[in-house]
Amino acid sequence: MEPSNTNHESRYWKSLREYHNDPASADAKAHEFAKGVTDEFDVNTLSPMSRKQFLGALAASAAFAAAGCNSYRDKGEIVPYNKKPEEITLGVANHYASTCTGCAEACGILVKTREGRPIKVDGNPDHPVNKGSVCAQGQASILNLYDPERLKDPMLVSSGILTKTTWKVADTKLIAAFTAAANQKKEIALITHSLTSPSLTKLLGEFAAKYPGAKHYAYELFDGGARQSAWTKSTGGTALPVIAWEKANVVLAVESDFLGYDGNLPEQTRLFASRRDVMKGKNFNRLYSADATMNSTAMNADHRLRVRPDRQLAFVLSLLNEVRPSAQTSAYSLSAFVKENGLDDAVVKQLVNDLKANAGAAIVHAGDTMPEAVHIAVNLLNAALGNDALYRRDQAKHGYAPLIDAEQWSALVARMNAGQVAAVVHVDTNPVYHLAPDLGYADALKKVDTVVTLAELQNETTAVSSFVLPLNHTLEGWGDHQTRTGVLSLQQPVIAPLYNTRQKEAALLIWTAGNPDGYNETLYHDYVMARWEKEVYPAQKAKAGFKAFWLSALHDGVIATNDAAPALPAAKMDVVSTLKNTAVNGTVLALTKNYFVGDGRYANNGWLQEMPHPASKIAWDNYAALSPATAKSLGASEGSMVSVTAGSRSLALPVHVQPGLADDFVAVQLGYGRNVSGSVGENVGFNASVLLSKSDTTAPYTVGGVTLTLTGETYLLASTQEHHALDDTFLKDIHKKRGIIQEGTLAQYAEDPAFLEKEHSDLTIVPRVTYDGVKWGMAIDLNKCTGCGVCTLSCNAENNIPVVGKEQLHKGREMTWIRIDRYFSGEPDAPTVSNQPMLCQHCDNAPCENVCPVVATTHSPDGLNQMAYNRCVGTKYCSNNCPFKVRRFNFFDFRDDFAGGVQYEEPLPLMHNPEVTVRSRGVMEKCTFCVQRIMEGRQHAIEKGEEFTGAGVTVACQEACPAEAIVFGNVNDTTSKIHQYRKHSIGYRVLEEINVGPNVTYIAKLRNTDPV
Amino acid sequence: MSVTTIDYSKEAPVVEGQPSLRGLDDLIAKPIDEFPHRNWFIGLAITGTMLMIGAVSLGWLLWKGVGVWGINQPVAWGFDVVNFVFWVGIGHAGTLISAILFLLRQRWRTGIARFAEAMTLFAVLCAVQFVLFHTGRPWIAAIWLLPYPNQHGVWVNFTSPLMWDVFAVSTYFTVSAVFWYIGLIPDLATLRDRAKDGIKKTVYAVLSLGWRFSNRHWQHYERAYLILAGFATPLVLSVHTIVSFDFAVSVLPGWHTTIFPPYFVAGAIFSGFAMVQNVLIVTRTAFKFEHLITLDTIEKMNKIILVTGTMVGYAYSMEFFIAWYSGNLTEKFVFINRAFGPYWWAYWIMFTCNVFTPQLFWFKRMRTSLLVSFILAIFVNIGMWFERFVIVVTSLHRDFLPSSWGMFVPTVWDFGLLIGSFGLFFTLVLLFIKFLPAIAMSEIKAVVPGSQPAHHGNGAHHG
Repeated sequence: MEPSNTNHESRYWKSLREYHNDPASADAKAHEFAKGVTDEFDVNTLSPMSRKQFLGALAASAAFAAAGCNSYRDKGEIVPYNKKPEEITLGVANHYASTCTGCAEACGILVKTREGRPIKVDGNPDHPVNKGSVCAQGQASILNLYDPERLKDPMLVSSGILTKTTWKVADTKLIAAFTAAANQKKEIALITHSLTSPSLTKLLGEFAAKYPGAKHYAYELFDGGARQSAWTKSTGGTALPVIAWEKANVVLAVESDFLGYDGNLPEQTRLFASRRDVMKGKNFNRLYSADATMNSTAMNADHRLRVRPDRQLAFVLSLLNEVRPSAQTSAYSLSAFVKENGLDDAVVKQLVNDLKANAGAAIVHAGDTMPEAVHIAVNLLNAALGNDALYRRDQAKHGYAPLIDAEQWSALVARMNAGQVAAVVHVDTNPVYHLAPDLGYADALKKVDTVVTLAELQNETTAVSSFVLPLNHTLEGWGDHQTRTGVLSLQQPVIAPLYNTRQKEAALLIWTAGNPDGYNETLYHDYVMARWEKEVYPAQKAKAGFKAFWLSALHDGVIATNDAAPALPAAKMDVVSTLKNTAVNGTVLALTKNYFVGDGRYANNGWLQEMPHPASKIAWDNYAALSPATAKSLGASEGSMVSVTAGSRSLALPVHVQPGLADDFVAVQLGYGRNVSGSVGENVGFNASVLLSKSDTTAPYTVGGVTLTLTGETYLLASTQEHHALDDTFLKDIHKKRGIIQEGTLAQYAEDPAFLEKEHSDLTIVPRVTYDGVKWGMAIDLNKCTGCGVCTLSCNAENNIPVVGKEQLHKGREMTWIRIDRYFSGEPDAPTVSNQPMLCQHCDNAPCENVCPVVATTHSPDGLNQMAYNRCVGTKYCSNNCPFKVRRFNFFDFRDDFAGGVQYEEPLPLMHNPEVTVRSRGVMEKCTFCVQRIMEGRQHAIEKGEEFTGAGVTVACQEACPAEAIVFGNVNDTTSKIHQYRKHSIGYRVLEEINVGPNVTYIAKLRNTDPV
Repeated sequence: MSVTTIDYSKEAPVVEGQPSLRGLDDLIAKPIDEFPHRNWFIGLAITGTMLMIGAVSLGWLLWKGVGVWGINQPVAWGFDVVNFVFWVGIGHAGTLISAILFLLRQRWRTGIARFAEAMTLFAVLCAVQFVLFHTGRPWIAAIWLLPYPNQHGVWVNFTSPLMWDVFAVSTYFTVSAVFWYIGLIPDLATLRDRAKDGIKKTVYAVLSLGWRFSNRHWQHYERAYLILAGFATPLVLSVHTIVSFDFAVSVLPGWHTTIFPPYFVAGAIFSGFAMVQNVLIVTRTAFKFEHLITLDTIEKMNKIILVTGTMVGYAYSMEFFIAWYSGNLTEKFVFINRAFGPYWWAYWIMFTCNVFTPQLFWFKRMRTSLLVSFILAIFVNIGMWFERFVIVVTSLHRDFLPSSWGMFVPTVWDFGLLIGSFGLFFTLVLLFIKFLPAIAMSEIKAVVPGSQPAHHGNGAHHG
């Protein structure tokens, strides 16, 4: 049947009845709307408000309502680039090479920036010294950049009142003051830390030329001067050699923490761990530690000898006497020493045998806090063993100014008191806090007319200065640094200064030029570049032009220079006769370095304060560490306040009973107890600098004859792990009984590489999920891991992890996603230590997943245990059911207002990694295996049209690990490293027996204890 | 009734004496008819204060976050879940008494069933608040814990025991509330008929749903009551079974045990009866209900307390036996740690109150002493609260990895909400006694001596 009405080309119909022109349909169509709706209406009956007006009013009220709501949380403005900078692609990170200025090591760093904001600091892989990793401070330094309490403007101080001023006013006054001083032939003291920069050194020279009274003083709280002067005295050489740790078969650490706070942690850890690689055979090195302090190196030692620091000289000399008996050392008998100090004779014998058998491939290393005499003895012992072979010939340490000693300090203070010093300029230093109080430095400053302190944050020295000038952060300034011969690295800014700050070199340049108007932001950049063009570039004999050379140096962050390391002078063995025994009676106090807050300069960095000490697991405090026996005889227990008195100096601080510590000995970390810092660092711990004395010139960090008195008070020490009595049979070695820590000796492994393998049962009533594509897994080699904690800091920065503060830490609410578990076994006096990094194991049968009522935690097809923060309602059942207790709960909004916490306060949110959700209160979180990096890798593969095999994806902890102990990747990729680790014969998974199917393989620790 | 002349062939009378039907109504409705006694106001002032303490604690909790409590890693559940399990347990006696004992034709239940049921509802209300407020984000949990269709296409996780909990507790509360209300209807009608002033009469009239005591009404009522009793009976067993799954389904040593369902149900009945016993003794004395709630009833309650207490004691011992017998080191550690670890005191408070002191009920003199019954019931309540504390906290505080061990130290806000929950419970109990008949008037009339035709000699087999 043809439709009757075909005159319209396109006719729309709603039903077949309509199509066929059914009259009923036509009727229905006419009455489509209810009666009255389509009737004609009377305009006069309508509302006076037009439709347009109504919509306008609606929009206005919505806008008012929205305006009323916006105070809920100010989310700020999002403004797109008007002109997009060429180098920035939104969502893609840029990396810039630079140099860390956090300590005298000046490691090469690679800074990750997003849309112009630096968000992460890692090691520069091209840097020949630290090669791709930095220490904990380096990782955490990003937090200092965004510290809300940074000094933002220059300040003038008169009679205690701070007035904000401009750089021009300050510079004008200072130039006048310096000129007057020069005219009156008075001294201008420039006080810096170790100089690592050739350009700054040159600049200081120019300053001194302009103002003839200017003198430069370099110092460190931990004076590396003893090592330097000892080297000069024992060999006559000036350049300290660099040790080739990777070549040493035997290492004897003499109160040295070369795996912790002594020297360059990334380099030393990497080289040491390279000789503990189960993938590269069984040729492990053997580490002996003779120490009293139970430091990081001692915790990793194959054999440990408890030797008090005052007796180290006798110990080293008696070893020397064993190795090369001579008349001068004959007074030092090793067997007598062993008996007197209660050492294990077998271990000492083995040590001597090892040293002799490995002469030329053994190294003895003394720590920074050891006095000069011990360093000399160590140099001689190394020489006697022919260990010079382990000193690198291509590199030596390179410094620009010798550090001043206590006598030079005393002389400076005397001149200050005598009114001969017109001005003191603290160039990013805090001597008021660092120096021994009996030096009287702070009082002497009152006699000086002009006291200038350049600093990033207020400190004890800014508090007594008349000019407080704010400094750029490392990431805001230019510079060049050299700490080794042949290696010159560049520092470049990755963000414009956030505040009205300048870099210290620019301030010096202005003063040197005498022109307060001369400042521009490229001032020091131009200076460094000019110096490089004149001095560095010609010596390089590069084929490229200077501009190309400069840009390539900036790109790489480091260049190899042609300056050769000086030849190694022979040791003068007869120096031994000058060494006097340092042993003392009574209790000995050792003032040690700390692991995270440096010389106190990182006190305001919450991430670092919250890092637990590797041995005690105590954070946010220092303490008087006592051995269990000493504590018992004193009647002290954990947290008792004890007064440590040395002569007229005294400090009360809480006791921590540390297994493994020497008896009649107390160890206190320096760098805590800052009075003037930011709100995070103020009054955290106790200032042990007050126990230093200007008269202890030979061994400033070892104080003999101290008395310990209990004050009767107690103090709360917050730690991330419970302290159990080691001799409690119920708890003893429980980590080994449960198979959490599985260990053996190298000899066992050599005999049977599968000695740890047990029967595995794959019995299950539920079919296992198979992973055909990519499946992520991790392996952690416990042979390489030293427990340094850099992984934790890297994870903190990568994953926006908040700081919770001491109180919350004590309650057990720390937020770190990866932690280092530390277990003691054996006897309280001589425990063996096992470290184990613990993070989400991404279990195949994750027990957390099935108990979540709202499906907030699920499993991905590539084997990740995922967390949907937005879905989480916070029942916390997942955490209870996690056998590893690696889940972290936001008990509060930890970014809100918690003392010591990361806050919402500007500019801290700029630090956040935009790829990682910032979690709110009431939400569970945990390690994600850096899923954002996995997704980035996947995206790159898709863009390139390649199959994604997982190669090239690195997670933050793995990237940061100086020991390369963490391996991550696709376990289904048979070519991957992780695949090899997963099937290793001594690989094990923690708590495998409860069938949760963890995906982190731990390579069992092999102790190289047995005679080979 | 004298101790020396018990005739075991005869059931003890449920109601003593020969009260008239009118007299029964007057007696039971007396608290409702009269202006309350001064003691009632004193009681309300105390419980109201406790309730306010709870309200302030709750406000602070919502303002700051669950961090105001002492919970942490590894003890992520503390007083919140302890209190939840405790109150759900208390809520078991009511339905057991009114439903199971009804089906089992235990006529002595008649005097106590009404307020035991009311206590069930109040206890479950107390429990539910902890389910909700123990979450990190209760404002979201209140919605997302319910399976509702939504445009995200996100469903709840039916494998999670917490989800089962939501269903179990909400079903239990609904059925218990309906059961209780159905039972109240004839009494509400009686109150309506007795009421003189307008508002009271209107309220009771509305609540009594037009009940006219007609034969048809009674027939429907009896049938509905029987069916609901049938519904409620499995719930009595299922709710605490499912609550025990919150623990038993986990991998945590100390939680991961198959004994939990019967052990939890026995514990719940144990604690529920003890709480009923406490309230019962006070109410009976205060309102002179001695001949309606007889000493015989109290003695029977004590017998059940003794039986369930012993069952719980058996469970405690069996847990230790299995921990040893299984050869599982972690399991063994957990149980030794319970009894001799840092929380040893909690374990021994639990053991003493739940297993040792109820043994006194072997003696009839103890069972029939009001003072002893009251004190021992309080002990049982304390013991059962600590049982949950022991299960939740001591299992969590030292689990698999010694590195993550920790201690739970409750804060003032933990105690605040615990006090608040008792405040809520007893405030509701006081209001209930004032506004609703504490004893089922209609039912009690059926068990008055001589009220039933005695076809078979002793009147035990009634309609």
